[in-house]
Amino acid sequence: MENLLEIRNLKVDFYLKDQVVNAVNGVNLDIGNNEVLLLAGESGSGKTISALAITRILPSTARIVSGSIFFEGRDLLALDEAALRMVRGARIAYIFQEPTSYLNPVYSIGSQIIETIMLHQNKNKLQARQEALELLELVKIKDPQRVLFDYPHQLSGGMNQRVFIAMSLACVPKLLIADEPTTSLDVTIEAQILELLLDLKKRFGFSLLFITHNLSIAKKIADRISVMYKGKIVEEAATAKIFDSPEHFHTRELIRAYEKIGKL
Amino acid sequence: MRNKLLFTGLIIILFFSIIAILAPLISPYNPSEIDADSLLVPPSPRHLLGTDSLGRDILSRMIYGARISLSIGFIAVGIALAIGLVLGALAGFYGGLIDALIMRFVDIMLCFPTFFLILAVVAILEPSIFNIMVIIGLTSWMGTARLVRAEILSLKEREFIQAEIAIGASDFRIITRHLIPNALGPVLVSAILGIAGAILLESGLSFLGLGVQPPTASWGNILIEAKSTLGVAWWITIFPGLAILITILGFNLIAEGLKEKLG
Amino acid sequence: MLSYIIRRLLGIIPLLLGITIISFSIIHLAPGKPTTIQQALNPKVSLEVRERLDKLYGLDKPLYVQYINWLGRLVKLDLGRSFGDDRLVVDKILERIPITLVINLLSLFFIFIIAVPLGVKSALKPNQAFDKYVTIFVFLGFAMPTFWLALLLMNLFGIQLAWLPISGIKSLDFEYFNIWGKIGDLSRHLILPVIVSSIGGLAGISRYMRSSMIEALAQPYIYTARAKGLPEKSVVYKHAFRNAILPIVTILGLSIPGLLGGSVIFESIFAIPGIGRLFYEAVMMRDYPLIMAEVVLGAVLTMFGNLIADIAYAYVDPRIGYKNEK
Repeated sequence: MENLLEIRNLKVDFYLKDQVVNAVNGVNLDIGNNEVLLLAGESGSGKTISALAITRILPSTARIVSGSIFFEGRDLLALDEAALRMVRGARIAYIFQEPTSYLNPVYSIGSQIIETIMLHQNKNKLQARQEALELLELVKIKDPQRVLFDYPHQLSGGMNQRVFIAMSLACVPKLLIADEPTTSLDVTIEAQILELLLDLKKRFGFSLLFITHNLSIAKKIADRISVMYKGKIVEEAATAKIFDSPEHFHTRELIRAYEKIGKL
Repeated sequence: MRNKLLFTGLIIILFFSIIAILAPLISPYNPSEIDADSLLVPPSPRHLLGTDSLGRDILSRMIYGARISLSIGFIAVGIALAIGLVLGALAGFYGGLIDALIMRFVDIMLCFPTFFLILAVVAILEPSIFNIMVIIGLTSWMGTARLVRAEILSLKEREFIQAEIAIGASDFRIITRHLIPNALGPVLVSAILGIAGAILLESGLSFLGLGVQPPTASWGNILIEAKSTLGVAWWITIFPGLAILITILGFNLIAEGLKEKLG
Repeated sequence: MLSYIIRRLLGIIPLLLGITIISFSIIHLAPGKPTTIQQALNPKVSLEVRERLDKLYGLDKPLYVQYINWLGRLVKLDLGRSFGDDRLVVDKILERIPITLVINLLSLFFIFIIAVPLGVKSALKPNQAFDKYVTIFVFLGFAMPTFWLALLLMNLFGIQLAWLPISGIKSLDFEYFNIWGKIGDLSRHLILPVIVSSIGGLAGISRYMRSSMIEALAQPYIYTARAKGLPEKSVVYKHAFRNAILPIVTILGLSIPGLLGGSVIFESIFAIPGIGRLFYEAVMMRDYPLIMAEVVLGAVLTMFGNLIADIAYAYVDPRIGYKNEK
């Protein structure tokens, strides 16, 4: 098996009060080592749910109905909770759309990073704090010593996203799943964060699954693009090909939306 | 599920309301009629729920008590609602100094333990049904005022209100035609909970001898005798208490059902 | 943080003034002079007492002078003498406070150690069997008239089973017990009052904790905690619980007026010599100085309760103090 991640025929349903709603309907997805795959699609197309399904951190109303998710040669769907927890945070890490609300408001930045380190690595608190400090420096946070004791609400969105990236990279994962990580940030910050991600990718050599509804980022970072529409992957190709000859109408819609923004 | 709550609650309240309305027709005895030959009679075919220490029929007293308890609940909440709607609407609509003054007043009123305030007033103006209603109303409008104010503050930002202001509609029209009707949903829920609260308060006051005064029957004052007949006449304790419990439960179920229905 | 506390402390000044004005106006609610009604309702009150009351409130002076004088005495804790036994009102209240405080603190303690786990457990599996039982209990708790519950418990445990005393806080032979005997006797007397005064709070707090926990569990940071690989126990008890329990601190302050009001009822039923029963007796005797003092006391206690809860909340929630520093 060459690919780092192979998702086959993934189906996820939501069990609501009096109905079952299908969110992901037979998704296939491959990510190679060191590759950046951009998963594009409008909101509600099932991108996020597919991403959360990879390590089974779905909302309580969602059920994975069928499929297989091979990662580093093992089917994650066949693993029990305990085995899967060794993968989460250590081999596969996430960063999310609104970093400030995805960080716990009542714990300091330091304690949230240290928690992740101590969970997966055999380190004492002092060593973990030292590493947290180095991680904050790595993501180019000024005055990391102070930020360690700050709370998420005291930092800007961009800063929090850097913190989040530091926390996610703490255990050097093989796959980083970034779910609209720059959507809530303004354009200059967005560029900085993207640059930082590519930088770190070079350094650590992880694969990146980058989820977005905004294709403007694609040319900058993506090797390949998968387009998702109503729970299915409707088109998948190398980045250049997607832009040159989009096949599915939804792909064309997304490109048109991007071009419109470009003209503004 | 949600309709089941609402439905059950409505059935309960309807049941007690019908009893209250038809009291003179369905009551087997005169509720104040003293019968020296049947003191503390346990439930029997003649006295379905037994009699008290003066030989009065408990069922009849409870039927008339339903009138008193329910009407105190409804009228007290009516008063509270009127005050709360007016003050909340004024505060929310005008903002500024009016808002600050009204909300400070609300804060101050909320500091008083309601029961203390009511007892103090009852001590000065003797207890009577009328006084009880008014006092409960005057001491329980604060929640409504806060709710109405909050609803109006959020509504004020909406387009249709902005449009009304722009075309120069009068304040009175905007408040009474748009703001208050739109704020009614949550206010209705809190009013129904308020009725339950008022009935509980009245029963507590009457039980302490500071509410509805005998010989007029209320569920609370039938229970005054329960303490002295404890272990002797269980029926005096059980039935009026159950009536209060079920009625309060009924109102709470309606409120819960409405809350879920309104989202 | 410090500036926040100072601002809150300054904020209570208008509140205190408002409380005293409302309290003061209660005595003037009655048509005519309060002293005349006093006499009509309670013939035992002699002319001498009436004159003293006139003097206490300075009822011959203009209203605002009366208020300022009364306020001045209030600040010095000069609350006058009780009509009933001519003792200083301050003394009567002070000797009654401890038992009320003990019972209410015990109730709060039990409410929290029982209601919080109930709420959390319901929230973890909402709408399943356990949650449904708790919900039924909550609805019954909300609808239960406390005095009726007291009567039922007195009948069951005091009379039918004869396990527990139903009146007062100590037995007649209390003085002859050793220290453990005394503590045991006191505890046995307090069991029923504490249960009765807890029931409403138990229902309320468990409901509140349930919804607070359900809300916390749906927050984005919970996904983060899971994505990190934390075991579900840490996700729930470290990340969700800490956030869910914070607002409960405020409820603590808000529950004080209810507890004080409840004290009147259960202290009267169980014949417990606390400030609730004192208030009831004062109302029955139309003992105005005592009534006024208790009304002000109740409001001031509530206000400080809220203040302490707010400050505690600002202390435990890192977001609050900061917001106000900005």
